[in-house]
Amino acid sequence: MGRTHYYKLLFILGIILFAIILIIPTIGQKKIEILLNSDATPNELNVIRSRFPSNKFKMDEYENKFIITGLNLNQAVMNEVRIFPGVKDAKILPHWAENALLAKQINLGLDLQGGMHLVLRANFKKIEKKLKKNLSESEKNETTQQALELLRNRIDKFGVSEPLIRPRGNEAIEIQLPGVKDPKSVKKAIGTTGRVEYRLVNDDYSNKVSIWLKKNYNKKTLPIIPENQEKLFLKISREIKLPQTLELLFFFVREKDSNKIIPSHILALNKKVALAGNDISKAWVGKDEYSRFAVHFTTTPDGASKFANVTAEKNHGKKMAVVIDDKVRSSPTINVQITSGKAVIEGTFTLEEVTALSRIIKEGALPVDLEIIEERTVGPSLGQDSIEAGINAILIGLSGVMLFMLFYYKIGGLIANFGLIINMIFMLALLSWLGFTLTLPGIAGFILTVGMAVDANVIIYERIKEELRNGKSVRLSVVNGFDRAFWTIFDANITTLIAAFILSQFGTGPIKGFAVTLFIGILCSMFVALYISRFIYELITMNKKIKKLSI
Amino acid sequence: MERTIGFLKYRSIAIGISIAMFIFFTVFTFLNNGFNLGIDFVGGVKIIAKFEKDVDILKIRNVLIDNKTQALVQQIGKEEQNEFIIATKLSNKSKSAEENSIQLKKICLTNFKNVKILGVETVGPAIGEFLKKSAIKLFFITLILITVYLSFRFEFKYSIGAIAAIIHDIAITIVFCGVMNVEVSIPVIAALLTIFGYSVNDTIVIFDRIRENVQIKSKQTFIEVINKSISQSITRTLLTSLTTLFAVLALYLLGGDVINDFALVLLFGIFVGTYSSIYIASPTILFWEKFSSK
Repeated sequence: MGRTHYYKLLFILGIILFAIILIIPTIGQKKIEILLNSDATPNELNVIRSRFPSNKFKMDEYENKFIITGLNLNQAVMNEVRIFPGVKDAKILPHWAENALLAKQINLGLDLQGGMHLVLRANFKKIEKKLKKNLSESEKNETTQQALELLRNRIDKFGVSEPLIRPRGNEAIEIQLPGVKDPKSVKKAIGTTGRVEYRLVNDDYSNKVSIWLKKNYNKKTLPIIPENQEKLFLKISREIKLPQTLELLFFFVREKDSNKIIPSHILALNKKVALAGNDISKAWVGKDEYSRFAVHFTTTPDGASKFANVTAEKNHGKKMAVVIDDKVRSSPTINVQITSGKAVIEGTFTLEEVTALSRIIKEGALPVDLEIIEERTVGPSLGQDSIEAGINAILIGLSGVMLFMLFYYKIGGLIANFGLIINMIFMLALLSWLGFTLTLPGIAGFILTVGMAVDANVIIYERIKEELRNGKSVRLSVVNGFDRAFWTIFDANITTLIAAFILSQFGTGPIKGFAVTLFIGILCSMFVALYISRFIYELITMNKKIKKLSI
Repeated sequence: MERTIGFLKYRSIAIGISIAMFIFFTVFTFLNNGFNLGIDFVGGVKIIAKFEKDVDILKIRNVLIDNKTQALVQQIGKEEQNEFIIATKLSNKSKSAEENSIQLKKICLTNFKNVKILGVETVGPAIGEFLKKSAIKLFFITLILITVYLSFRFEFKYSIGAIAAIIHDIAITIVFCGVMNVEVSIPVIAALLTIFGYSVNDTIVIFDRIRENVQIKSKQTFIEVINKSISQSITRTLLTSLTTLFAVLALYLLGGDVINDFALVLLFGIFVGTYSSIYIASPTILFWEKFSSK
C-alpha cells in the first residue's frame, strides 16, 4: 500500500466511524423518563409496568417517576405512554452520544410517532358577510396571517412540546402537533376567536413583581406550562399583597429563531378593561414622524370616547397593555389625550414586530373564525405498528437482496453487500444529522433504496466481466470497469435525483419524507459504489498474483 | 464476443401490445365506475378503530347502514387485532367533512363497547384540487428538467426516447390503478413519480451504451448498434429490476396496510419501466433518427 492508500483508508474508516456515532442515539439503547401523577393508583402503575416487560426493558422506580432503559424506545413509545392514566409526562432522556457529539436521534413523522396534523382556513365568507364586500387575494392573505398570529399566541394551549405552525399557500395554515394528549381541546382552542382587550398597567406593582422575581426566582426562564404559571402568580400575589383590582399577566415576546412566543416578564394590570377589542375599527402598519415603523389605528365612534377617557391627563406616563387571550403583547405609554379616535403606537420596532402587533389589534376589531379543512390524527400505537412493519420489511428486503448478490457475484457480492450496509448506515446518519423527519413513506424510500443501491455495483461488475471476457488483465479490467461505469452511473442517478428533488417539493409531510430518503439514498449509494467499493477493489488488485476475480 | 439479440425485431409487436394493454385497461376502468379517487382528492373521512373481539365486519357494516351512513368498512392488519378502517367520501355537499367525522366517531362509540380510535383522517374538498394541480405541475417540471439534462448530456433524440418511455409507463400505470381499483391517494401519486425516476434511470443505462457504441466506428447500422447495446446491458437491466422487485415485494407483503397500495403500484411500475426502456425508449430514438434524416 502506498501512502495515498493509507490516507484514503483513514478517510473512509473515519467517515464510517462518524456515521456510526451519529446513528447510535437512533438505534442504540435509550432511556425514557416517565413522570407520574402524585395520585396515580397501583393499578395504573401496573399498566405501565406491563407495557415494559422486564425481559426487554430495565425499569428503575423512583418516588414519582419511572426510568425505562432499553432498545426500541422512540417518540412513538413516549407519546403512547404519555396518554396512559396516571402519567403526567414522559420524555426520552438525551443519549450520551447526543451530549458528547453532534449526534441526534432521528425525528419521526406524525404518522410514525402519533400526533395531529391540521390544515385550517379562515372562514372568509363570514368576514365578507360582515364587511359586505368580497375579499381580494391580498386581503385573504392578510386575514390568514392574522389567524397565524392568533395561533402562535395559543400554542401553549395545545399541550405539546414541539408544535409546528406554518402557512400553506396563501390561504391555509398547517399545524402539526406531535403526541397531542387531547385532540378535542386542541380543536376547541382553534375554533374560538381571539379575545383582545386594552388594560392599564400598574407600574408600582409591576416594579414590585420584578424586584420579588430578582430576589426569589432564580431559574433562567419563566414557566411555560400554564399550571406552573398559575402557581407562580399565586405566590407572587400573596407575597407582594396584590390588591383585588389588579391581576398579574405575562408579557410575551417572540423568539427570533422559532417564531414561538415566550414569556419575558410579568406585569400587574387593572382587572377593569379600558377598551375592548372591538372598540377599534381598523389597524395598519405605517411610519411615525421619525419614519420609524409604527402601528396606526382608528377607533369606532363608541370607542373614541372611551379612548379619550383612558388617555386623559391623569393617565399620562402610564402604560396601556394590549392583551390577547390573557397574554400581554405590547404596552405602549400614554403620552397625549386622543379624542379624535385616531392613534399611533410608536417605538423602536422592527417591521416584524409592528406587523404582528397590528394583526393582534385587527383580531380584536375583526376576529377570524378558523375552519378545519383537513385533519389527520394518528394514535401512537398505530405509529408503533407502522414502525415495526417498516423495520421488518427493510430487514427482509435487505436479506433478500444480499442473498441474491452473494449467490450471483460471490466475493463481488460480498463486497457489494458490505457496501449496502455501509449505505444504510450513511443514510440513517445523514437523515438524523441533517434533522430530516422519517415518515412511513420515508421507510418505503429506504426499502426502495436497498433495491436500487446495488444497481451501481451491478453496472460496475458487468463492465468488469465484459473487460475480462475481452481478455484484459484483472487489474486493467477493474480499472476500466470502474472508469467506464462512472458516467453511466452518474447520468442515470442524476435524473433520478432530479425526480426525487421535485418530488420533495410536492405537498408536505409524508411525501417529502419519501423523496428525501430516496434523494439521500441515491447520493450515498453513488459514494459507496464509486469511492469505497472502488478502493476495496484497488486494494485487492494490488496483489499482482491474482489471476481470477470472483464476481 | 457475446451474442447480440435482435430485440428490436419485435418492436412493432411490443408497441402494439402496449397500446392494446392501455386501451383494454382504460375501457375496463371506465366500465368499472372509473378511478377510485381517495379522500385525499375528493374529501371525506377515514377512521381507523380497534374493536372488541366479538365484533366482526358484518356487525359494523350493519350498524353503519342502520345509522344511514354510506361509510365503507375494511379490515386491516391481522385478524386477531380486530382493526378496521371506516371510510366515507364526501358525496353530498350538505355535510362538511368535519361533521361526517364527528358523526362516524359517535356511531362507533355509542354502538360498540371499548372502541379505540387509533387514527382519524378528515379531508375537506378544497385539498384535492390543490393536490391535483401541484401533482400535474410537478410532473411537467420534472419532464422538462430531465429533457434539458438529457439533451445536454446526450442528444435531443435521446431525451425524446426517455420521455416516450416515461409517458408510456405513467399512462399504463395510471390505468392499472383503475383496473386494480387501487385507491388513488397521496402515496400512490408518490409511487407514480417514483416510477418516473426509475424508468429514466433504467433507460439511461441503455442509452449510455448506445452512445458509446455509436462512437466506435463500424459498419453496423443504427438498429444493429441499438440491439448490441441492449444485449450488452440486458443482464444489468434484469438484475437491477430483480433486486428492486425483491425490496418492493418485501414492502408490499410486510409494510402494512398504509403503504400496500403504494407498493403495488411500484411493483407494477418496475415491470413496465424495465420493459419500456427496451421496447419503447430505444425504438423511439430509432424512429426519430429515421424521421429526422428524411
